Amino acid sequence: MSDNAFPDALPPQYGLHWYVLERVLGQGGFGITYLARDTNLDQPVAIKEYLPVEVATRRPDATVTSRTDEHDERYRWGLERFIREARTLARFDHPNIVRVHSVFELNNTAYMVMRFEEGETLAALLERRHALGEADLMRVLLPILDGLELVHNAGFIHRDIKPDNIHIRSDGTPVLLDFGSARHSLGHSRTVTILVAPGYAPFEQYYSSGENQGPWTDIYSLGATCYRAIAGRAPLDAIARSKGILGSTQEILVPATAVGSARYSDRLLKALDHALSFAEKDRPQSIAEWRKELAGGKPAPAPAKPAPVIPVSTVSSSRIAPMVWGGVGAAIVIGALAALPWLVPGKPQPVVQAEPAPAPSEAEVLRRMMADEQQKFAEERKRMEEAARELQSERRRLEEERAKPAPSAKPRSEPPPRIARATPIPEPAAPKAAEVTPLPLPAPTPQSAPPPAARAPGPAELLASAERAQARGDYGEAATTFKALAENGSPRAMVRLGDLYLVGQGVERSDELALRMFRGAYEKGDSEAQQRLGDMYAKGRGVPQNNFHAYAWYSAAVLSGNAAAKGEQERIGATLQTVEVEQARKLGERYARAAKER
Amino acid sequence: MRRFALCLLSAALVVGCATDDQKRNAINDVNSEFRVQYERILAELGTRVYRTNLDDAFPALRSALGRVGMRVGDQSPRMGYLSVVGPAPAPLTDAEWRSAAERDLPKLREIATQHVGVLGRFVSFEPEGLEVIINATALEVRNGVEISLTARMREIAPPKSGMPRREYLPPSAVRMGLEKIWNEFERELRSARTL
Repeated sequence: MSDNAFPDALPPQYGLHWYVLERVLGQGGFGITYLARDTNLDQPVAIKEYLPVEVATRRPDATVTSRTDEHDERYRWGLERFIREARTLARFDHPNIVRVHSVFELNNTAYMVMRFEEGETLAALLERRHALGEADLMRVLLPILDGLELVHNAGFIHRDIKPDNIHIRSDGTPVLLDFGSARHSLGHSRTVTILVAPGYAPFEQYYSSGENQGPWTDIYSLGATCYRAIAGRAPLDAIARSKGILGSTQEILVPATAVGSARYSDRLLKALDHALSFAEKDRPQSIAEWRKELAGGKPAPAPAKPAPVIPVSTVSSSRIAPMVWGGVGAAIVIGALAALPWLVPGKPQPVVQAEPAPAPSEAEVLRRMMADEQQKFAEERKRMEEAARELQSERRRLEEERAKPAPSAKPRSEPPPRIARATPIPEPAAPKAAEVTPLPLPAPTPQSAPPPAARAPGPAELLASAERAQARGDYGEAATTFKALAENGSPRAMVRLGDLYLVGQGVERSDELALRMFRGAYEKGDSEAQQRLGDMYAKGRGVPQNNFHAYAWYSAAVLSGNAAAKGEQERIGATLQTVEVEQARKLGERYARAAKER
Repeated sequence: MRRFALCLLSAALVVGCATDDQKRNAINDVNSEFRVQYERILAELGTRVYRTNLDDAFPALRSALGRVGMRVGDQSPRMGYLSVVGPAPAPLTDAEWRSAAERDLPKLREIATQHVGVLGRFVSFEPEGLEVIINATALEVRNGVEISLTARMREIAPPKSGMPRREYLPPSAVRMGLEKIWNEFERELRSARTL
């Protein structure tokens, strides 16, 4: 709207009650933060607007609306959470927690008014200084721990601690920003990448339910933030770590004790490694416990795992199903690991024991977590199978109806009336390859009556259905539907199909075909495809490994509104020189512009 | 010959005396120094704007890089991206490499000696086992096309010396390589009569 870099942002001088917007401070996956002026008190404020780009969009009249009807429920629920958590945050008055002044609804969305803090983010500071010395690091960490402890004690977790969300004031004191207001609200989004910051999020955050999350989740992220500050790069992403632990890759997290050896005290490095333990039970369970380790005291004996800080009872039952479906993203994790014998469909997994064996290995912990998730998917799968059967019978009925001659055919010369459809349904394309089975999409028929065919699933529904199939492990079914939709030009289906080609689920494993899918989706302007292309170049899959080009693609993805790519962009950017970053950024702008033009 | 063998033996003994930490610190310092110079040279010589269009500039760029011994690794002519790769010392010839290395060797040895003592005097640039990767972009700007070049090294075989690898080309080699590529590029453009 106002700024090329932030096309969804409200323009400068836009008035929100007595606040006048001045400029955009930043945009994430869940909203846009503006610098504004409180004209009553004549002071600057920061205003965060709820605008989850994954499910909502800006309309020309400045209002925010869900992208489709099926996104509406998720958008509304996220909005409620945004407002509720703003109210909760407003109760905290701590020098190291962002101060919330007010929250209000306008433009079909909500705005959180916060104190504006001069300074820069820790991410920006680290970009300039590469790393922080121990004394500087502790000056950031310890006050944040104090503030975070207050939040935890009130029953909340931040869920998105990373260098971008720690602000360093001009006087050097830190303040924790951007509490994950709507982090769960998008739990059944198509991927989890937008929900978590790669490298900073522990493995349990890749799951939809919040049951395994607690103070230890924030402690991991804070540990990862410190790791970034000593190593100059974020730690290995939890998904990559999981693969390393299970032996499918060679990737392991280089411990802080190795990375920071001789530059930092053993006490600090050991505390960081403890915080970065893969399994949540192996980490410090509370801020107090971790602080004691950082201060050099013996860690308190690990207490029994406390109840989740976001009690399940606070979530209404109608919300639980979407959260389970958030496992679509978790299924990517499952997908990545499903080649392992213990995840082969048909082989039931052992139910997780209430009392796990003492000191299980990381691989064992991971397996148990996966089995737990599978159980949840199985229940949902049953429900979906019933729905699918109903859909099949409805289709058969429609096909029979279509086969019958029209009772009163109109003259041939009269053009057929247009059929109003709630969702446009593309024509099925002829299969290009033998294995592609086009879906039996109903063809438009010249009927004047409102067509019952409007109830047939549209591309969006088919896509959602295929994603659910993918989530529950029916990769063959998912791949068939994705292929058909990809043939019809759906960029999202192309990305999903590309993901399946990468891991060889439901289709043959092929980096080249994955690359072709991602490129095809990019040609249609898909920002997720741009991120995937960044991944391909970063890992050298299907293309020569090239961090310069990976950075260009991640930059394009971020510019196209894919906030999830930012973490990877930063990680890769840390391996490049300033001149290279600048040039790759320009190339990324070119890619993003070309995508937009299409 | 006997004296040479003796020197080689002494060098091998000295190499054996340096610890891994000392070697790593030496190379880290070399990297830091070369990185600064690399940035400076790229800022000065890495980007140029030519009054031409992308359709002429891109083939000229590809030909120029081919002429200096680089092969295409990846490209997108429509977007103006080209990645080329070649075994070090490409894009320099052996003679050009030796000339560049001679200029930078004193600095390399000076830094290395601070960490590994006498061993530092035996350190040399080892192009063997390294590939040079050049990322080139040709982006349309208001008054023409902006061409940009960046270069990195990639290890494809372990070093003979046992010293950790450097990440950056010797500064003189970067300068010499860039000038060589620009000359070839301008020659290509001229031959297409677009300069």
